Amino acid sequence: MKMTPLRKKGKGIKKAKARKTKKTARRAPSAKPKLTQASRGAVKETLAVQQLAVEKSKFSTPFTMTAPKATLTELPASYGKDKIVIQVRDPWWIHAYWETTQAALERIKRESGAAFFGARKVLRVYDVSNIIFDGKNAHRFFDIDVGPDATSWYIDTGSPGASWCVDIGLLLSDGRFIMIARSNVVHTPLSGPSSVMDEEWMIPEEMFARLYGMGFGFGKSSPLGKAWQERMRRALFSGILSSPGITSGASPVKKMPKERKFWLVVNTELIVYGATEPDARVYVQGKEIKLRQDGTFSLRYALPDGKQVIGIKAHSADGLEERSVTPVVTKETK
Amino acid sequence: MNKGYLCIVLHGHLPFVRHPEHEDFLEEDWLYEAITETYIPLILMCEKLLRDKVDFRLTMTLSPTLISMLEDDLLQTRYLNHINKLIELGHKEVERTRWQPEFHRLANMYMVRFYECRDLFQRYRRNLITAFKGIQETGKLEIITCGATHGYFPLMDAVKPSVRAQVKTAVAHYANTFGLKPRGIWLPECGYIPGDDEILKEAGLKYFISDAHGVLHGTPRPKYGVFAPVYCKSGVACFARDLESSKQVWSSIEGYPGDYYYREFYRDVGFDLDYDYIRPYIHPDGIRVNMGIKYYRITGSENKQPYNAEAASEKAAEHAGNFMFNRQQQVEYLYHLMQKKPIIVSPYDAELFGHWWYEGPQWLDFLIRKIYFDQDTIRMINPSDYLQENPRNQVVTPSLSSWGWKGYSEMWIQGSNDWIYRHLHEASEKMTELAKNFPDTNGLRKRALNQALRELLLAQSSDWAFIMGTGTHVSYAVKRTKDHLLNFLRLYEDIKADSIDELWLAGIESRDNLFPDIDYRTHQ
Repeated sequence: MKMTPLRKKGKGIKKAKARKTKKTARRAPSAKPKLTQASRGAVKETLAVQQLAVEKSKFSTPFTMTAPKATLTELPASYGKDKIVIQVRDPWWIHAYWETTQAALERIKRESGAAFFGARKVLRVYDVSNIIFDGKNAHRFFDIDVGPDATSWYIDTGSPGASWCVDIGLLLSDGRFIMIARSNVVHTPLSGPSSVMDEEWMIPEEMFARLYGMGFGFGKSSPLGKAWQERMRRALFSGILSSPGITSGASPVKKMPKERKFWLVVNTELIVYGATEPDARVYVQGKEIKLRQDGTFSLRYALPDGKQVIGIKAHSADGLEERSVTPVVTKETK
Repeated sequence: MNKGYLCIVLHGHLPFVRHPEHEDFLEEDWLYEAITETYIPLILMCEKLLRDKVDFRLTMTLSPTLISMLEDDLLQTRYLNHINKLIELGHKEVERTRWQPEFHRLANMYMVRFYECRDLFQRYRRNLITAFKGIQETGKLEIITCGATHGYFPLMDAVKPSVRAQVKTAVAHYANTFGLKPRGIWLPECGYIPGDDEILKEAGLKYFISDAHGVLHGTPRPKYGVFAPVYCKSGVACFARDLESSKQVWSSIEGYPGDYYYREFYRDVGFDLDYDYIRPYIHPDGIRVNMGIKYYRITGSENKQPYNAEAASEKAAEHAGNFMFNRQQQVEYLYHLMQKKPIIVSPYDAELFGHWWYEGPQWLDFLIRKIYFDQDTIRMINPSDYLQENPRNQVVTPSLSSWGWKGYSEMWIQGSNDWIYRHLHEASEKMTELAKNFPDTNGLRKRALNQALRELLLAQSSDWAFIMGTGTHVSYAVKRTKDHLLNFLRLYEDIKADSIDELWLAGIESRDNLFPDIDYRTHQ
């Protein structure tokens, strides 16, 4: 597959090994001098691309604008940044994706000396609920060993209704953690009703339990006490009320499973065709039909079991002549 | 005296699928099917209700992508071709079934229906938005907006300027289309994350709709559960879905649409009939597709029985009666419990009505008439009127939630689709950078910047992630995501290098031609 690299002004990007699995693309530090518009044509650049061997090619200069521009045909595997982003999947889980540069690794290697060897890439997950996180004041944190090649991860936080921040970094062999990038902060939702009450809008526990149950469609007899929350949660997560969308190709209406997979369907149709003078009038079973320009006709019928008497009559245009043919077809299914 | 309100919301949305580069494009059928089976039947229903002077209230989303397609000249022409072919097939079917009375009746029914569709379509000069606009002007229908391309907001939390662009582009598009500002918004997939209401407020929106647990798990505890709206701190109101009424309509287990007398969706002549016969009507590549002519009822076994329209219609009436009875019971009970008139918010995908559930529009018609003529416990209302009548509501911050599978974001972030976010977010950041670097520009660069935003918005449609998650049409969804992102990346580089290829730009402008008045500066 032929492809042309994404244009990066004044930035040399080293080629990544094309691998089948998701990889962090390795990039060289951008050490090249800034290039003028005119000299760009001479610059050879390559771009890291997933699953594709990367070719080197030249850009057209502004002086050869008439040449058609080649278009990028695959998304870049990475964007040359040290970056991590986290997103909430549900009250318990968050998703993280990241990319790190070779430059960051080399910097850490330079700065950390011998401890670099044996270093492991980890996600450090901080519980930052109700604080302004400064890197040191998290309530707690835990590490996830993600290996050198992963670029995304689903993290089980274990506690809904909390705030999280995640660093991607290296855990050195001497136990030090060196951050490469820090994520945004996210807030996981509660998995049940809030315990915060509003004085002005106070509500007795029992009444709330009823309204809560009714809101989830359990009618008036919704259970009280601890059991209700679990029941609601199961109902909510069964997914039976989720939107199917026309694009899904799957009806929300129930589909009966076939008892066995193997099957056979046979139908029969009957084709009745013929010809007469193009200006004649033709009647089939008493109903006038349309002739083609050359006077031919053909009719197609689904053929049920039983006897079909197909009376066909043709009248000449001047009304003086008449011909009729009556095929009789009997069909039975054994 | 009425003791409570019923607010039925139909969410009409399809992703932007328009391929002028192909004569016939499979995924464009989504639109044509929805026009014939859902949008036109709903318009016909409203027209008849108006003619019969039945007072009703409906709330309906028309997503900006759907509006753009319904107003697009090419797609209008293509729909006309589509319906003309169905009429032709309808005639053939009437002939073919002559010896089978139970099918012959149905063939006639479909043919009449196709003619009705064409008549209505032409009556509104091919533009169904004109029809919806007219109905809105009677005050019976409130049309609300949606994210510009139905981007899923909770997974744009790291790139808020994109949420702002989704909302502001949608609001401006609505104003251009309907000549007034939208009051409400359907958050795509009901995806709400605390803080987004601030953006809605900036855009002048008064309310949105969340799923039940959005409010039930909100903070502080909502005094009236889902049966009264709450105000976010921004002052934007949030109405929550009532799951009891939702379940009755579209639970795959106990919902009405699974009734054995209703039409079976999966037995379509496009798949059932002889290949040579149906060949001229299916996809030109010979792929069998649904024609919308379906002769069987659900039956409850594999031995499907012919559909009987009268029997199905009776069922729809019965189910409408049942639904109304249940709402009356619910409202009576809640009124007693709350000492206040509850509002039951029942939102559904519009395409459920007619497309998936063939009898859905009939059911709705029966329901509306019964509510109007037969009782006075419940009154239909739309959210704007409710807020007008009930301006005092509790302040609650709703919880992150969606109406998708499992109630949060997993439908759109799972193994099959999580790879898209690093690209989407990167593109968002680049778009923000562009908007910042070019606060005021014109000519070719402005066109390129606007197109860059169009491409970004199109890549953000939640439909692509959804499709990747469901496993049908996956390659198309992947291609759309990549194509728009690649177009975006090229525009970004070209704009920065000040070497915009006008010919190429014109090409993608004519293909991805929605939102003619888009303003890239909203992305900040």
